[in-house]
Amino acid sequence: MIAQRILAYGSAREFHKETLDRWLQLSEADQETLLEFADRLRLGGNHFRDFLDWLEEIALRDGISLGEILKGETFLRVLSDPRLGRNDKLKCLKEELRRLRFPRLSQIEEGIRQKIRELKLKPQIQMTVPAGLEGGALTIQMRATSYEELRRLAAELHRALEEDSLKEIFVLLSGKESGAGLSA
Amino acid sequence: MFSCLGKRAVQDFRPEEILVEVGSEKSRIFTNLRRALPELPVTFVDQLHPYAEDPSVSNDPFGKGKRRLFLQRHRGDFLKKCPGSDGQVCCNYFVINFASNCPMECSYCYLQEYLADNPTLKVFSNVGDLISEADELLSRHRRFFFRIGTGEITDSLALDPYIGFSSEVIPFFAEQPNVLLELKTKSHRVENLLGLNPKGRVVVSWSMNPQKVIDRDEHLTASLEERLAAARRCQEAGYKLGFHFDPIVEYPGWEKDYQTMVEEIFAKVERRRIAWLSMGVLRNTPGLKRIMRKRFPSTQLLSGEQVLGPDGKMRYFQPLRVEMYRKMLRWIRAASPTVFVYLCMESKEVWEQVFGFAPSCEKELGNRLANLEV
Repeated sequence: MIAQRILAYGSAREFHKETLDRWLQLSEADQETLLEFADRLRLGGNHFRDFLDWLEEIALRDGISLGEILKGETFLRVLSDPRLGRNDKLKCLKEELRRLRFPRLSQIEEGIRQKIRELKLKPQIQMTVPAGLEGGALTIQMRATSYEELRRLAAELHRALEEDSLKEIFVLLSGKESGAGLSA
Repeated sequence: MFSCLGKRAVQDFRPEEILVEVGSEKSRIFTNLRRALPELPVTFVDQLHPYAEDPSVSNDPFGKGKRRLFLQRHRGDFLKKCPGSDGQVCCNYFVINFASNCPMECSYCYLQEYLADNPTLKVFSNVGDLISEADELLSRHRRFFFRIGTGEITDSLALDPYIGFSSEVIPFFAEQPNVLLELKTKSHRVENLLGLNPKGRVVVSWSMNPQKVIDRDEHLTASLEERLAAARRCQEAGYKLGFHFDPIVEYPGWEKDYQTMVEEIFAKVERRRIAWLSMGVLRNTPGLKRIMRKRFPSTQLLSGEQVLGPDGKMRYFQPLRVEMYRKMLRWIRAASPTVFVYLCMESKEVWEQVFGFAPSCEKELGNRLANLEV
């Protein structure tokens, strides 16, 4: 009986009752797929709840089952990759799930990373944006061990200021009112 | 859980029980309540029994709490400064809590979390104390102008047909030279307001959403058409109007629905009577999401691209919501180039990106709102 196996799994890992109730309210097929998934990754309560939240929200938005998401190509590939340990798999799968859960945000974040790569900055100059793009600011860090190095890095940054890629980062951060809109 | 809410509207509100704290039966609010709901039995109690708010007594203690109306004296201050949100631009607003909780059932309502341990629908009977407190504040500080609202932890008008609160307070505020009272609502039950003279001191404002959002997520509230009809009646009765596009919800096709709604508003009401418009996107907290998941498991509001901000609230990620605000602003400006528009609970960065400026401090925004001539 699937419910008993779920309860046994949850009890062994001290799952919160609320989490278990949510799991048991899923369709039997989803319960089973999720148990197999949790088992393979040895998910504890917190990781499991994070996965469940996003899986449910994607399923609700896209009108599909949790099982359909978990049987997606990337999930299957990561899960069966013998080169990845449990923690690597967990990290890759969370990233993939985040990409599915926040498709437009992920697309902009990737767009910004791409623009930063196009600037071909020296590794001593780091450009980063905040998680979730909140605040809309680009942070620039320079690390120099001498005055001369700092001068070279400042000149490098000055060169980057003229690049379209850098200007486009700010366009991506501030939202586009027209053109390729973000809205659904 | 709430599919049964269907087409019921707030005019059908019938509490399952009325509890009255001994002493409150002498109040005008009690008289109004008995007149409006004579068929409902009343139980007199010394205080609200602790079991009444015990979350373990029901699957949905919050929903159950809304169906029990408790009339009691308010202990403590009625007037409070609106708490705003940490680090966000604030509009320097005061709130009066004449009741606690709300008979409507919006799936995104923050009261589900805020009043989780205290969900009983309470109405405060000592309106005289409220007026004395407001009188003391307003007369002590005549050089300052105040904006005071009553819709923070309840809807300003949803209970009005039963308790007649508006008739008790509007005559007082109408006589004050340094205040605007805002009654913020999703109801269309404005009949008590129509016979009063607000003397330019009362703004009746509606939280506005397209009918699609109302149908899905604003259960037991008035329809868009009813809200607009009520606004028109208030306009004709001499009230200033406000519209709050809050929460703005993003979904496939939202642009068309919101643009149509903005156009409809300006087609139906006199734009010079509009005191202000505000915009704010859907916000929730991780805790509220957990509650929504339980109480409204099929609401699509759970699946928006919201991220957690530094103030602990989740909003659509910044570039997306800035784009939403800019579009809304463009539609508003097309209908009225001069109407006052502000953002609710947003950072200075978002203000800058939407309007090209941010108020330098809360007093600046508060003063601009207070000095509007309508």
